[in-house]
Formats: sequence, C-alpha cells, structure tokens
Amino acid sequence: MIKNRLVDVLKVQGGDFPHLLVYGPSGAGKKTRIMCLLRELYGPGVEKLRIEHQTIVAPSKKKIEINTIASNYHIEVNPCDAGNQDRVVIQELIKTVAQSQQIQSSTQREFKVVLLTEVDRLTKDAQHALRRTMEKYMATCRLILCSTSTSKVIGPIQSRCLAVRVPLPSKEEVCSVLTSVCKKEGLLLPPELAKQISDKSGRNLRRALLMCEACRVQQYPFSADQDVPEPDWEVYLRETANAIVSQQSPQRLLEVRARLYELLTHCIPPDIIIKGLVEELLNNCDGQLKTEVAHLAAYYEHRLQLGSKAIYHLEAFVAKFMAIYKKFMEDGLDAMMF
Amino acid sequence: MKKSSLEDTANSRRAHNWVDPSFSNPSDERFWSGKREDKQFWDSQPECERSRKRKKDRSGFLRLTKSIENDPDEPWVDRYSPCSQGELAVHKKKIEEVENWMRGHTNPSKGGILILTGPSGSGKTATVQVLSLELGIRVQEWTNPSSVEPYYGSLPEWRLKGSSCSSQLAQFQEFLLRVNKYKCLKMKGDREAPDNRLILVEDFPNQFYRQPCGFHDILRFFVKNSQCPLVFIVSGSRSGEGSLHSLFPKEIQEELHISCISFNPVAPTTMMKVLKNILYMETEKQRHKSLYVPDKSELEMLCSGTSGDIRSVINSLQFCCLPDKGLFTLKKPPAVQLERTVSLSKQRRKRATSSREQEEHQAIGGKDVSVFLFRALGKILHCKRGNCEGANATKGASGPGLPFHLLHHHREVLLVQPESVVERSQTSGEFFSLCLHQNYLDFFSEIEDVDRACEYLSDADLLTGNWTIRHIIGDYGSSVATRGLIHSNSCQLSVGFKPLHKPSWCLVSKKHQNNSLAAQSLFRSFRLTPVSLLTQLLPYLAKLCNTTRSQAQIAVIQDVGQMSLRRCSGRLKLENLGDKEMGQEVEEEEEEHCRIEKDLQVSQSQLTTNQVLLEEEDLIIEEYESD
Repeated sequence: MIKNRLVDVLKVQGGDFPHLLVYGPSGAGKKTRIMCLLRELYGPGVEKLRIEHQTIVAPSKKKIEINTIASNYHIEVNPCDAGNQDRVVIQELIKTVAQSQQIQSSTQREFKVVLLTEVDRLTKDAQHALRRTMEKYMATCRLILCSTSTSKVIGPIQSRCLAVRVPLPSKEEVCSVLTSVCKKEGLLLPPELAKQISDKSGRNLRRALLMCEACRVQQYPFSADQDVPEPDWEVYLRETANAIVSQQSPQRLLEVRARLYELLTHCIPPDIIIKGLVEELLNNCDGQLKTEVAHLAAYYEHRLQLGSKAIYHLEAFVAKFMAIYKKFMEDGLDAMMF
Repeated sequence: MKKSSLEDTANSRRAHNWVDPSFSNPSDERFWSGKREDKQFWDSQPECERSRKRKKDRSGFLRLTKSIENDPDEPWVDRYSPCSQGELAVHKKKIEEVENWMRGHTNPSKGGILILTGPSGSGKTATVQVLSLELGIRVQEWTNPSSVEPYYGSLPEWRLKGSSCSSQLAQFQEFLLRVNKYKCLKMKGDREAPDNRLILVEDFPNQFYRQPCGFHDILRFFVKNSQCPLVFIVSGSRSGEGSLHSLFPKEIQEELHISCISFNPVAPTTMMKVLKNILYMETEKQRHKSLYVPDKSELEMLCSGTSGDIRSVINSLQFCCLPDKGLFTLKKPPAVQLERTVSLSKQRRKRATSSREQEEHQAIGGKDVSVFLFRALGKILHCKRGNCEGANATKGASGPGLPFHLLHHHREVLLVQPESVVERSQTSGEFFSLCLHQNYLDFFSEIEDVDRACEYLSDADLLTGNWTIRHIIGDYGSSVATRGLIHSNSCQLSVGFKPLHKPSWCLVSKKHQNNSLAAQSLFRSFRLTPVSLLTQLLPYLAKLCNTTRSQAQIAVIQDVGQMSLRRCSGRLKLENLGDKEMGQEVEEEEEEHCRIEKDLQVSQSQLTTNQVLLEEEDLIIEEYESD
C-alpha cells in the first residue's frame, strides 16, 4: 500500500545493493521497509527470527552482554545497548558475521545483512570504527543502518551509504491504513474517528495503531466523537506546563521539580521532556516571548547533552521561563495601568 | 637438655591454649597468643601487665605510681587512663546505659549483643573496661591473628597448632564458641575469680568487610546458644558508620535483638577537666623537672582542635608540655594586638581570629576539622553575611564600591568560606551540589533569584560533566555552585529551621536506569528502539487490557506506562537528612559512578595507548584467526 522505495533500489541494482542508511522519524515505517527488502532478498526465511544473547569480550577483558535478533540471513543489533562500549560491539560482531560464509551461496545471496539500529546514538568512536569495518567486509556483508536523523551520523559513513529517507505517512495514508487494519480485525471504524486519530497521532503510524487499539478497548462499537486516549505521560507533561504558566514562585518550582522527577522515573528521556514542555509552553505564551522561549529551550537542551545530571538543566529551563513569563506579565500589567 | 626443650614446647603450647590465664605463672608475662588477648582487671593481681597497644587497658592507680618510677617516658594516655566511672570522660547517662545493659545481660548468664559506636577517642573501650572492672566481669578480647606468626615457629610446632593455618574466619568462630562454652578453670590461688565473662570484639576479621553474610551467620549461631554477652566496638569516623552499615544492617540488628549505643565525641568541658587533672598530677610529680605548663587558653585551643578525641588531646598535651620550649610552644592567639586595632570591624576581627585558630590547630597534632553535611549545607543555604555597619566600616579599607550599573550585585561580606565548607563536609563537590539543589528552593523568595541560582547550578554541572578533566575542574564546579547560590539569593529570607532533604536525583536516576533496562529486556520481541518503546508502546500497552502477558511484563507496564495523574504522587518520598548523617548511601552511588567511569576510562585509554597494548591484542587476534 505504501510505496517501498527500498525494493525499487533492489530492482535497479539487480539483487544487490550498497550499504544503506535508512532514516526518518519514528513511526514512519523504516524497519517495516527494511524487512520487506530482506524478504525480497532471501525469501520468507528471514521472518524466522530468534533472539540471541551474545557475550563479547572487550580488549579490556570486560564482558559485554548484548541481545541480537537474527535469522539465518541477517542479524539485527542495537549497539547502544552496550552503552559506551558500542565500538567493541560493532567491531567484533560485524567481524564474526562477516567471517562466516553463507551456507548455500549458490541458491542464496553471497552476503549477509547486518542491521544496526539507532545509529545516530552511536558514539563518535563507534562511528569511526564502523567506517573502517564497512570497507573491510564489503565482500561478505551489507550493512543497513537505521536512524531517526542523519545529523548525528558522521560524514564518512553518510558518504559510504546510500541514504534513503523514509517520510512520515500523510494523514490520508494513516487513515487508510487504520481502516484497512480495522477491516481485518472485523471492526467498523467511522471515518471521523479515523481522522481524529490520525490528527492526534502526529502521522506516526505506530502511535496511530496503538491509539486505535486503545480506543477499541475504551469503547466498542466506536462512536465518531469519542475521546482518543493519549499516553499518561503526555497528559502529565501538559499539566506540568499548565502549572508552570499558572504561577511563578519557588514553591511552584518545587512542585514542578517533583513532577519532573516523576516523569524521569517513568523513563521518559529528558530531551523529550524538554521538547514536550516547550510545545505546551509555546501554546500558552505571547508571540513576543515565543522566540525567546524557543531559544532557551534549545540552549538548555544542548546543556542537557553536555552535562551529566539532567534535572539541573530541566529545572533551570523551567526557572528561566518562569522568570521571563513573570516579567512579561508584570510589564503587561504596568502598560495597562498607565 | 632434652627435658628443658620439652618444657619449652609445653610452654609454647600452653600459650596457645584456650583456657590459660588462670594457671599461667605470674612471671610468664607474655601470655597472650596471637589469637586473643586476655586481660584481667582485679586489683589482687598487681603483676597483670599493661596493654602494649592502647590506653584501653585501664589499670589501678596503685600500679601506676609504681610504673612511673619505672618508665618516666610512658605516654600520658596510658598513665592516666581512667579506672573508675568518675574518671571516665563520658557522659554519665551513657555510662549508665552501658552499665544497665551489662548488668542485664551478665547476671543470669544469658547472652546478648551490644554494639558501641562513636568516633575514635570517645571512650568506648575505656567505658567497657572500667565497667567490667567494677562489675567483676572478665573481658575476653578478640584480636586478629597476624598471618606472619606461623612462620616464626619451627616446623613441627607449626604443625601442632594446626589452627593457625585455618582461616581467620574459622578462628573467629571457634573463639566465640569456646569463650562462650567453657568457663575459666578455677584455681586455688584465685580469689573470687568472676564467672561472668564478656567478649569484646574490636578488630573485625577482614573477611567480614567483604562478605558480611558469613559474619551474620556466625552471629545467628552465637545468639542461638550464647551464654555470655558480646560487645562489638565499631569506631566509625565521623563520616558515617560505613562499616556499621555493612556489618550490622538494620535487619540483622532487629533479628538478633542487638542493642546499639552510640557515643558522642567528648565534650570540650569534660576534656578540659581531664587535661587539668593530668596537668596537675604531672606538675606534682615532676616538680624537679622543668615542665612547660600551658595556660588555659592554650588548653582550650587543644580541646577544640581535636574534635572530641580524648586520646589525641592527651597525646598532644604531653607533646606540648615538653620542656623544650623553643620548638614546641603554642603560639598565643594575638588577641591583644587585634584589640588595639580599632579600625577593624568586629566581624572581621572574628574572622581573623577564627581562621588563625584553625591554623594553630593544624600546627599541633590536631585533626582536620570536619563538618556534618547537615551543618555544611546549612552554612551555605543560610549564608551569613556581615551586617551593614561592618560593611560600611570596611568600605573605606577595601577600596571604592561598585560602579553604579553593577550596584545590584553588591552583597555584604561573606562570613563563610564556601570552598572550605565543601572541603570539610567530606563529600564530593558534585554530591554537595546535588544536596544544595535539593534544598535551595526553600530559602528563596523571588523567582528571579531562583532563575539565576539555577543557571549557576547548571553551569556547575557542565563543569563537572566532563570526566576527563573532572579531577582538575571539580573544585571549580562546586565553587561555582556554592558561590552562585549564595550570590544569587539577593534578599535572604530569615527562615527559621528548615528540614533538609537528601537529594532525590540519585534515586530517580537509578530507577530510571532500572526501569528502562527491565522494559527493554522484557519487551525485546517488539524490536523497538528504547525511546519509542518507552514513550509510545508502553504507555499504550498500559491502556490496553492485556491478559496474555507475563507477570513481570505486566508489572513493568504498570510501573512505567501508567502515571497517576493526581497533583502530587507519593512515589517520591523525601528523605530527611539527619543531623549527623553523612552522604554514605550516596557515596556508594558515587562509587558505582566512579566504577563506570573507570571502565570508560579504560576503554578510552585503550584508544590512546593502543601501542602499549598492542602485544596483548596481537595475541588475541592470532587466536581468533587460528579458530
């Protein structure tokens, strides 16, 4: 239904392809497409997946445990699971995969595929290691790198790969996917609800499907104007933003801090918290402030990456916003008075 | 010849027997084996030898007068060790507490365990010794066997006492068992040798620090069939009782009904009394010699310098009373001189003297002054500044004031030195900043001030964020945090007492890690990146009623995916920071942190020093290839 440009790539190249860098926002269908490509290459055998637990010994004699998902033809790994040892994982894993030959190279392709996810979160170290490994084992394996953006992938890797951007599906596409899924499930989805879900999902297809399922749990038969449930943390974050806007005082900041801690314990990454906060806060503040707030958010998001303890920077952002917002409101009041 | 050698071996064997002291002949003074030290405290045995190690061997004065003749250079700590309750430099209530416990647990010969804690030199051991002397209890003390011992003996002898080869742990267990089981043999010569025994353990076998479980098992066994009380002395430094927590966790304390009495550092007044007494007696005795007698102010200085450690106070007293004045006299605080200079403000004078005092303490056998975390935080948060008049007076001296456009940055003179406060709090600067961050909001009234303080804290985190240069720049980080906080609080609220809390960040980050690890491992089959798993899938899974999932998965879904939308949730309980608590738990956290960083460092250093490791790596690669 949704066009797979990756398979086109395959057709152009006549069954072979260069290293790929597939990028696009979350929920756009990167992995789905990659799996389609693999099936096109190797047949239905790639769908027999098994989870493997591998132990890799770093040169420092430290054991790194990592989980991989593999079929007979490909192996999928998220090197970031190993934290700052991702370089070792990349080197060792690709080396072992590339050194073992395909069993039946006559009927199958003569290369294996290594699928690396979250390449943008790799350390610079690991990315350089990847660059060398890519050249070395080109004969026996192909790499498919999967990331949300290319901005954190170093140039040498980008130039060695064929970059394929996977955009988010349009709202209409989301709607049609939802209706077809519901049809398969034997459910009747009113088009209004499908529209509402696709609006709220932000064109993220995974999210849209999850929302649809949650709607089903909430109420069936669907009604056209039913509430589309949102994740708890988003609601919580919105309430937090409202709390910030409604009052600016040290006590309120203390409450906000408790809420931030709560979000952090629920494993919401700090950069997503700050992004969510900004979006909510921007809705609530005057146009004059918007640039300043956005600038602040960018500033503190950067610090978040540099520093080690997120709460300092989150709180500094909130405090700064409070101070600016309070000053703005007071100035506004003064202007009204005179 | 042969006979005498036989006798020798017999003697030496006796020395390693368990029940020796009662029939060891008086001339055989060295009747302590490597395994333990028996001490007897009855006045009827004047030949009972004094301790070689510490002042804890309290003995009667009768003996003391004798020993002075023998050994004029004996440390005063040993010479003037207390021998009655009145002489103990411990608060009466504490002595009473220990006495009650000892009475309660010795008479019906039922066992029990007591832990005495407190800083070193607060009189824990002395109290036990004096009380056991008064109550007529034999003290059996465990000392760690030294591992060198067996090599000194000849080979057959070494074989005979096979126990020396067994582990410390086994020896300790055996010691407890035997002391517990067997009474002292009664001999004719002993007058009213007391039946009551008390086991004193001050030296813990090292093994226990690493594996406290084994220790707990031994304790359990002991409690089950104990006949005599067991006293542990854990002399924690002031920085929290780290070993106490690992050796005697709360559960064990409750399970075995262990009572715990903690001693405070010796109060300065008591200390003064003791010092004066000692001085008086010394001057009486050594009238013929020229003894330098320090005056009262010097004594006070000694007392305040050692933070309640009576042993070190007495030592330093003896040291500074040495007749050779030219080298070791204390400098008198130049108060007179200061009083003359009227132009100095009151506050500044105070500061000058206090800082000078500190230097003096360092000069003569003093300890580093340490401050409890609670107080250190208070010093920064309630930061005390000089009052206005003082500032006006000093203005002339310190040069022209700030120019007009910077006038809003003007603050009064600080009375605390933030860097030294951090240093004395005995925690890392990073942890100190975390504590400050946890608590500073209570002390601010204006959001603008909070904003600036926050920015400084954020700056401090940036400074300490880079681990490669942390050892250099860490101090600057804490300096930025503390000074930034102090400066940005423009209108200091005069808040009263505020409870301080432990930083929640450590707990939060640990939970964050654990939760995300658990989620990732349980939901691996979805093949999602952690971010989309945690922000998209799990929250929705929480909304779907899924019965097909495993118990663990459901638990994680409920824990991570669902959030209670009420205003404040009770999940994060604030832990109050105790009065005398140090950041012990968090220290562990830090250690963990450090370990991670060390690993990181290892991996990084491998990059840079690849050359060095090349040989080793080559080997490994060869192995790979041969495979």
